[in-house]
Parts: sequence; C-alpha cells; structure tokens
Amino acid sequence: MKGFIIFLISLPVLTVGCAAQAPTQVEDIFIEGTSGGDAETLNWILAADASSFGYVRHTLDSLATYDNQWNVVLRHLAKPVEVSEDGLTYTITIRDDLKWSDGTKVTAEDYVYTVKNLMLSDWLNYPYQIDWQEMVNGETVFVELEVVNETTFIIKRKTVNPEFLDGPIYSLTPYPKHIAIKYEGDVKAFTEAEEFNNLTYTGNLGPYKFKEWIRNDKYVVECNPDFYLGQDTGAPYFEQYITKLLGTPTAVLAALEAGDIHYTGIEPEQVAKFKLMEGIKVHTVPTRGYDLILYNQRNNGWEGLKNKEVRQALSMSISKQAVIDSIRLGFADPAFSFIPKPSPWYTDEGVPKYGYGSLYDKDEAKQMLYEAGYGIEKPDGTLAIQGKDGEPITLTLVTSTGSNIAEDVAFLVKQELADIGIEVGIKLVPWPTLLRQYVMNKVPGTDQEPRYNNGPEAVGEESWDMIIMAFNTHPIAPSGSRVFFTTDGGLNYWSYSNPNVDELFQRVRSKEALDKEVRKEIYGEISQIIADDQPAIFLTFPRGNHGFQANVEGIDVGMRLGWNYHEWYFAEP
Amino acid sequence: MIRQISSKVGGLKNLIFIGALLVLAIVLLLDIYLVDQILEPLEYFYLFFAIIAIFYGIYPLYANRRLTKYYWERIKRHRLSVFGLAFIVFLIAVALIGPLLTQDPTKVNFQEKSLPPVGFTIQQSVYDLKAEEFVTRETPGTWQHPLGTDDKGRDMLAMLVSGARVSLQVGLLATLIAILIGTIMGVVSAYFGGWVDMALMRFTDVMMTFPFFLLLVFIIFIFGPSLVFIILAIGLTGWTGTARLVRSDALSLRTREFIMASKSLGASDTRIVFRHLIPNVISSVIVIATLSIPGVILAEAALSFIGLGDPTVTSWGVVLNAGQRSLDTAWWVAVEPGIMLFLTVLAFNFLGDGIRDAFDPRSQL
Amino acid sequence: MKRGGLQGYIIKRLIYAALITFGVVTITFILLRVGPSSPADKYLANMSARTQDPAQVIAAVEARYGLDKPIYEQYVDYVVNLARGDWGWSFSTSLPVIKLIQRHWVYSFQLILLSMLFSASLGILIGVYSAIKQYTRTDYLATLFSFIGISIPNFWLGIMLILVFSVQLGWFKTYYDTGLPLFSLANLKALILPVITLGTGMMAGYTRYARSATLDNLRKDFVRTARAKGLPERVVIGKHVFRNAILPIITIIMFDLSGVVFGGAYLTEIIFGIPGLGRISFNAIFAGDYPVVVTITLIGALVVLFTNLATDIVYTWLDPRIRYD
Repeated sequence: MKGFIIFLISLPVLTVGCAAQAPTQVEDIFIEGTSGGDAETLNWILAADASSFGYVRHTLDSLATYDNQWNVVLRHLAKPVEVSEDGLTYTITIRDDLKWSDGTKVTAEDYVYTVKNLMLSDWLNYPYQIDWQEMVNGETVFVELEVVNETTFIIKRKTVNPEFLDGPIYSLTPYPKHIAIKYEGDVKAFTEAEEFNNLTYTGNLGPYKFKEWIRNDKYVVECNPDFYLGQDTGAPYFEQYITKLLGTPTAVLAALEAGDIHYTGIEPEQVAKFKLMEGIKVHTVPTRGYDLILYNQRNNGWEGLKNKEVRQALSMSISKQAVIDSIRLGFADPAFSFIPKPSPWYTDEGVPKYGYGSLYDKDEAKQMLYEAGYGIEKPDGTLAIQGKDGEPITLTLVTSTGSNIAEDVAFLVKQELADIGIEVGIKLVPWPTLLRQYVMNKVPGTDQEPRYNNGPEAVGEESWDMIIMAFNTHPIAPSGSRVFFTTDGGLNYWSYSNPNVDELFQRVRSKEALDKEVRKEIYGEISQIIADDQPAIFLTFPRGNHGFQANVEGIDVGMRLGWNYHEWYFAEP
Repeated sequence: MIRQISSKVGGLKNLIFIGALLVLAIVLLLDIYLVDQILEPLEYFYLFFAIIAIFYGIYPLYANRRLTKYYWERIKRHRLSVFGLAFIVFLIAVALIGPLLTQDPTKVNFQEKSLPPVGFTIQQSVYDLKAEEFVTRETPGTWQHPLGTDDKGRDMLAMLVSGARVSLQVGLLATLIAILIGTIMGVVSAYFGGWVDMALMRFTDVMMTFPFFLLLVFIIFIFGPSLVFIILAIGLTGWTGTARLVRSDALSLRTREFIMASKSLGASDTRIVFRHLIPNVISSVIVIATLSIPGVILAEAALSFIGLGDPTVTSWGVVLNAGQRSLDTAWWVAVEPGIMLFLTVLAFNFLGDGIRDAFDPRSQL
Repeated sequence: MKRGGLQGYIIKRLIYAALITFGVVTITFILLRVGPSSPADKYLANMSARTQDPAQVIAAVEARYGLDKPIYEQYVDYVVNLARGDWGWSFSTSLPVIKLIQRHWVYSFQLILLSMLFSASLGILIGVYSAIKQYTRTDYLATLFSFIGISIPNFWLGIMLILVFSVQLGWFKTYYDTGLPLFSLANLKALILPVITLGTGMMAGYTRYARSATLDNLRKDFVRTARAKGLPERVVIGKHVFRNAILPIITIIMFDLSGVVFGGAYLTEIIFGIPGLGRISFNAIFAGDYPVVVTITLIGALVVLFTNLATDIVYTWLDPRIRYD
C-alpha cells in the first residue's frame, strides 16, 4: 500500500522534465569527442578559450542565438530587442520564468550588475571591454545601462553601432548579483569562488546542469528538468551530455568508429572512410570562415606588393582549384571576396576570379610582372622574373603552427610561385608569436603601443610578405568585414587602402542601405573592387564535416549545426 | 721554432690540436662580428666535435693499434653487435651520399600526394560538392616513389634519407655535448676532490632531480623548436648520468700509481687531467656514448611527436608526427619512419652492448 | 656502525634535499618567467579577441595576474605562499594546484605501479633465466626480445596497439574510462594496453641488469660452495644468487621512477587518454601555468630525492660493509 502511494506520488514527477515524452529511454548518455584542449575555467568572465565558453553554454544560454538561416532565435529574451529610431537606445526584456539555482528570479538587475560591476569594472580587468566602449569626442567611454523594471533594462549609446545587437547583446549572459556581490573588489576571491567554478548557480538557464569535470578527461552535464525551453517538449533528451577529451585526433576517430563516442568533427582525409561506414553518418555543412593570404602593403614588405598588377599576377599563379581538390579534398567553395555564396548579398558578376578557371594562367602572370618592371626578356624569348635590382625575388610567407591545412597551403604557394621564378621562404610560428611579431605594428621611432593597425606608416617587428589567415564572416551582415578592408579598419593588419571601398562601407551602414536592392548593389560593388584590387588572395570557403553515430536524430543540418542541439535524441533501436 | 713550441705543449699532436681549435675560434669570432655568415651554427658544432673526436678518439685508436685490434676481436664475438655496427655504417653511408642520389625531400607536389609504396594500391577520393558524391580512384604505388609519398606529395624515400642525416646529427651532436660536459665535470670533480667535488656534485644532483623529459619540453617550449636548440637542450640536460659514472671511474684511477708518479714528477693539474685521466676514462665514455645515442634519437622523435620538433627540418620524428594523423588512410607515412627509428635504436643498443662487454675485463667472451 | 651515525646521515641528507628542492624551484621559476610566452598570449590568441585592442588586452591580463609587478616581488610572493601551504592557483584549469594534483595523481600512480610490476617482474624473470641458460638459444631470444622492447618508440607502439586491438578487434575500448571504480576488474582491463606500452620500454633495462647481476653472482665463490654442498639448483639460484642480485636491480628501478613518470608515462597518457600527472604537467607548460609547473617539478624532485634516500638507507641496512661517516 505504501509502495503504491509512493508510486502515485512520484508519477507526476516522472512526467515532467527530461526525456519524459521523447522517443527514448531515460538513461541516454551522449558523448561528444574532441582532441582539442580542455577548457580553462567555468568562471566564464575570466575565460579566453573557446572550450571554456563551449562548456558554459551547456548550462547557460544567452539572450538570443541564430538558426541555420541566420534568423534570430530568442533564448533568454522574452521578445525582440527594441531599438530606438536614432539607433542609440536598446530596450531589453528578459523572460520572467528564469530562476537561479536557489530559487530566486533572474532579474534585469543581474544583467546590469554583470556588465557595469563586473565586465566594466577596474578590479576584474576584463580584457574584452572594447565591446562596451565607444569613442565620444576623442575619449573612450563606456555605454550606459539602466534598470527599468524587474525584467527590463536599457542600454544607451552615444554613437550608432548596428553590430552592437548581434555581438555583445545577443551573447550576454548574467552572473547572479546576490552571489557576485560577495566577491566584489577581490580578484583572487572571485577567481577561486566555488559557485562560479562549479556552476552551481545556473538554475534553469540552460538545457543541462553541471555534474562533474575531470580535467583533461571529460566534462559531464546532466539533464536539467527545469530547462525553460523544455517545459513543453521535455527537452533535452539526453540524461547526460559528456564532452570527452582524447589525446590525439587518431584516438578520437578511432573512438567514433568503434562506437565509443557519438559525435565529432572529421578532417577531410577521413571523411570518405566514414561516409562509407554503415553506422556513421557524416553531415557536410558550410562554415562561416574563409581562408586568405594577405599581401603586406606596409613598408616592411616587398615593394612590389604595393602595385595592384603585381598582386593580381601573383594571385593568378596560385590555383584555388588545387587548394580545393588537393588540400581540402573537395570540401570547399572557391572564394573571390569575403561574401559567401549562401549570403543574399552574394554576386559574382563582374568579380574577377584570379587564380581560378581562365584567370589561372602562369604565363599571363609572368607577362604582367614583366610589364610592371619585374622581369627581363631572355635571349630565347622567354621571360625571367627578377627584382628591379636584377636579383631573384624572394618572398617570406608566414603561417601559424598547429594547422595542417595552413601548412599545406604554404607549401602549395611555394610550389606555384617557384614555377614563375619567385622563391618563397616559409616561416612557421606559433599563433601568439605571429600576432605579436608580425601582425601587430607601430610607427618606427615612436613609443606607440603596438596595435593591429596603427596607420599606413606603421610596420610590424618582423618583415613579411604574405600571411595565411582565416577570417570569419557574417553572411547576413557582412559589413563587419569593414574592420579588415577599410583604411582605418581596426584589423587591417596589412594596410590595404582604397578610398572607394571606404566610402562604400560607409554607405552600406547609412539610411539608404535600408533598401535591400541598394544594399545588394553596394556589396556587389565592394566585391568587385576588392577582387580587382587583390589586397589578399581569397582562397576558399571551407566546409565542415560532422560525424555522428547513425542513431542520432533531430539534427538541423546547416551552417550553425548544433544551434538546437537540445533537441537531438537517439532513435529507437 | 715549431719544435720549441711543440715541446712546450707536449708534442706535435697537441700543437695541431690546439691550432685547429684556435682556427675555429677565429672563424667563429669573425662570423659573429665581421662577416655575415660563413658557416651555420650546426657546422661549428661539427667541426668542433670532429676535432675532439679525432684527437681523443680516432688518433688513440690508431696509435694503439694492438689494443684496438684486441677490442675489435672481442666485439666481433658478439654477433648482434656486429649487425648493429653494420647497420650503423650503412646508415652513415646513406646519410652521407643518400641525399645526392634521391629526390629533393622538400619538394611538394600535390598531384602526387599520399601515394602508397610500390606494390600497394590505395583508393583516394575527392568530394564533388555539386554532385554530393565522391570521385574515387585507385592509385597504385610507382617506382618513381618506391616508398610512397606523404600528404604533401614529398617522396618518402628522400625524406627517410634526409631523416637519417638529421637523426644521426642530433644523436651524435647532442650525445657529444652531453658526454663532453659530463666527462669534464666527472674528471675534474674526481681529481680535485674537496669542495670542488662537493659543489660540482651538488649541482649535478640538482640537475638530476629535474625530470629529464619535462625539463626538455620546458626548455624547447620556451626557446622555440629549432634544431640547434633541440640539440643543445638535450645535450645540456643529459650529461648528469655521464658525470656520475665518469667520476666514479676517475676516482678509482686517482689513486693509481701512474697518477701519483706524475704528480710527484711535478706535472701540472691540467696536464694530468687532460693527458692521463681523460684518455683512461675514454673506454667507459665510449660505452656510455653509444648507449646514450638511442635515447637521444628517441627524445628528438618524442619531441616531434608532441609537436615540439623543428618543422623546417625533415627528421624521422617530424615525419612520424605528420603521419600519425592519417594512420588509416596513409599508414606508410607513420610506419616507415617508425621502422627506421626502431632499427637505428636497436643497432646502437646492440653495438653499445657489445662494446660494453668488450671493454669489461670481467666478462668472458 | 652506530645508530647515531645513521641518524646524523639522514638529517644531513634531509637538509641537503631541502636545499636542492629550493634550487629546483628557483630555476624553474626563473625559466618560466624569463621565457617569451605569457598568459596574455591566450587572451590574444582567442578568436574573438581579434577585435580587441591588443595593448589593452595585454595590460588587463597582466594587471589581473600580478605580472606587472617586478619579478623579484613575484618570486618572493610565490615562495612565501609555498611556505604557508598555499601552493597556488592553476589558472589554466581553474583549480587550486593541490586539488588538481590530488585528483589526478591516482591515474598516473596506478599506471606506473602496474607498469613497473609488469616490467620488473617479467624483466627480472627473463633476465635471471637467460643468465642461467647463458649462450643458449633462449638467452639470445630473450636478449633480442628485450632489445626490441627498448627500441620500439613507445608512442608508436601505443598507437599500433590501439589500432589493432581496439579498432580492428574491438577487445578494448579506444580510450580510458575514468568512470570505472579504481579497484575493479574493468579498470584493470582498461589498463592492459597502456601498461604493455609503457612496460615494454622499461622491461629491457631490467632484463639486462638482472642478467648481468645474476651472471656476476653466478661466478662468485659462494655459489660454487653452495653447489658443492649439494644444494639443489633451485635453492642456489633462489636463495643465494637472487638475494644478492636484487639490490642493484632495486636501485635501478628506483632511479628510473622519476624518469618514467614524466617521460614515457606522459606519452602513454596522451595516447590512451589517461588524465594523469604527466598530461597535466605538459598542458601546464604549454599554457604557461607556472604554479602547476613548479609544483609538479617540485614533486618530481622530491620523489627522486626521497627514493634516493630510501634506497641508500635500505642499502646500508642490508649491506653492512658500507659505512657512512
């Protein structure tokens, strides 16, 4: 009798929360494998690495996210952010059903406190404050935040920044004010705070709750029955989600093959094998990034690179198709500018495709170099490429260690340019060294702080001619790339400058560009000019390959695969 | 005139020795301060050690032919060590003339990437994005690349040959540095005794308590993975064992009569150390050297494996590291250097064992 | 030998061990601080940080970690904290260093213990056996086998073992499962491949030493005497020869300890995904996490010093011929 009563009482409990209505058993454990580094901290405001943010995201959603078509999907937001007419005031309203683990409600106070007293404080030294700063009358000030009521707060700016919404705002996650306030002012205490390092405060803000973290081994989160999005659907459908760290890429793929893990990324070389495997399915999706090779137009690069025809000639000698076929094994689209094909602003009319198809022509390249003064005609009529001083041309190509693809590209470039008589020296340096000694620059003779773009007269510590890089792009709002391609762009490492491009980027942010046709036209023009100028060789838009065990369902395949991962489940056997 | 100087330094041979070192030092100074670059840093190492090896190693063998013959007979009895020696000689030959006969190991050719060795066939697929399917072709090995190619199309045979050179260089140079430091520390410490001994041995102890490999990774990580640093780092961290063994050897020599006699005849300390002690510990040193070389070679391979190898140099470790990513699609890239490493290390171990047994008066051969 | 002599000796050794540890800490600290990398690097290297002003990022990070203080101050702070028992905070894993080590030393320990048992017992057995049957085919085979063991690069061996036994044959899981209770059969099974990988390298050394130590003793007079007395061969070997040979072997094993932990064990841990101290220490180096690096080096040094001291004491106790003044 007692047993029966207990059973009756527990019945309602069993029907709420995780996996109750999903087509699976309750004991499901999903294991994602990776060979990357472990996260550093769950105290995310102190973190610098992607893994840390990744771990935290299991238990803490942000204000909003994007789906595969880059539509905004609300998470902690109750309704879309209201932006004022003049673009200076943002009104943010959060859901009223968000609770911390101790039962207290999540309020606008928490958000405002997180930004004002933590991120923008001077005792915590948050390195990424620039997101919340603006230049007003030559001075750097912080944006202002104000609580309106329990679920609403406003952010006031003095200058317009259309990207403010997509970046800092949508990715905002709060710290609980009533806990953080205990550590205020004491960096050490905050760093070592139990609650923040064990994510004990996250309440129902995410699909999972923190369970355990064994360093360099695995990160385990368990289903959160109170998940604010799961009340109707019973999501998430896994009892546990484990991120398992394995030492080498070989080990990860071996684990996938053996069925010991359910999901991981697959390198191009292995994809064929996995696509053919019975129990595995591989999803190939476009990615946000593109690779390119920067031409150094600063004073510490080869002077020939300041000449547009020379850059075009060099680009003409390097085959994008070879990169796609031999290095990416077909998993990429050729890139001619920074706007990817899936973007509504994409156009390839009038965009010269150097290094591809008919514009991959080494003889033509040699001709162009000769005409620019970098070659002589030999007695037998052929051209020999050399510098203006009669010496052979040697270029320095730099890339960071740790990326096989980048190394492959470096060697390919070396081989291609060798065919037209230019020697390429390859330098492989660790990424921080690349940033500090090659990318960061300052005007020689001054005691400026080195930055990514201190103007056209600035040069980096080490000289270089080409750097292989990978940039990200936002398919819907590509104007973010202005940081790379405008004269004063904050990330214009290589000092490319074209006033027409500067003007076009200005226009695309102005009122007239609200008309989609106008915007498409402007972006088309930008693409054409940049492709013609060849400030860099745009190489490819690579595709990513994600391998899953065949019984994983609910995956929305696209550029942002995983945006709704709380809806994944195991099919019935 | 020459005779006067040579008698001062103890013989013509010493004159030549000192002269050679002086020339090298002058060239080095010129290189640093005046002219641009006469020789690479590694080449300085070579010449320096070549001089020392000739003077302290090869010449004594030649001068004491009968002794050399005796030892050689003893070594020959160990069949395995003869195999080892034969392989090493083969390897040295390969390292010296191999590069002249093979292709350029740094020449990439993406058209010919990941070719299997002769006799094997493999399937390679390229994905066609539009058709969403794979285009697969069967690629057989060709005699053009008898051992296959790596994922950038570089010829495996050429890389293995080049790797032989690098691995031998690293092995020899790093070992020589370690031996040199260890021997001098050990002999000086044993000979002078007293607080010199205390100080040097305490320092050795501090160095010994550092876990060897950790320290190595530490140093390379801080100063950058270039071949010169790797050799220096291994050499500067690996001398402690030698120092200890040489010291105990020299300690037993110190009390022997010929040293006492030398001293009472008024020989200077330097003279005794360099002319008497060192040549007599050489036999132990040679054994230690031969047995350290495999450890050094493996250390370099291990460093490359965790990514701290010199990426601009083709060593077996670097090739192995690159190969372990594609073990199931291009197994030969990892297996071949693995086999070479294994055989080389094996050969040195055999040889070292044989030499040790040969020099050990107590072992009956 | 007097009791006081031994005690005095131990005290002297302890003081001297303390000095050495101090030296180790200092050298490690200097190397780390003087090196070109800094915690600011990973903040710079973060992808989203590319939009940040690098000068600002570097300044912020250095202020947060107290790196803008002069190095002398940093060193003193660190040593003083050590003395007070605060072994620092590992900022690459966000744990107190002590906790970090506490949670992970077990994995290394079990791997090393099992590997040593495996390689020592197998090695000694083979060594002694091949010494007894010197110059027979068995001897050559055993010698060959041990040489092969020591010559195979152990990281390569590990990968091959996984490929064959985990992927192709499916006998073992491809990675080590930390969820298994420590003293279970399943855990033991999961450790088989790593132990073989780590053990084969160490085994050869033990085989050689066991062999030569046994050979040495076999030639000695007391063996002849024992045989002349008519004792069965088993007893001769087991009681007399073995007892004498064991000492040097134990010494070798002890000396190997620290080298193994931070050398071979690290590579094995990486390949099999075992989160032991080896992996922790190397990740710490790459992250520039100096509290962890210094502490682990310290531990390594202490282990070495301790085992040296212990071995010496055991030696003294067992071998009355040695004197310590």
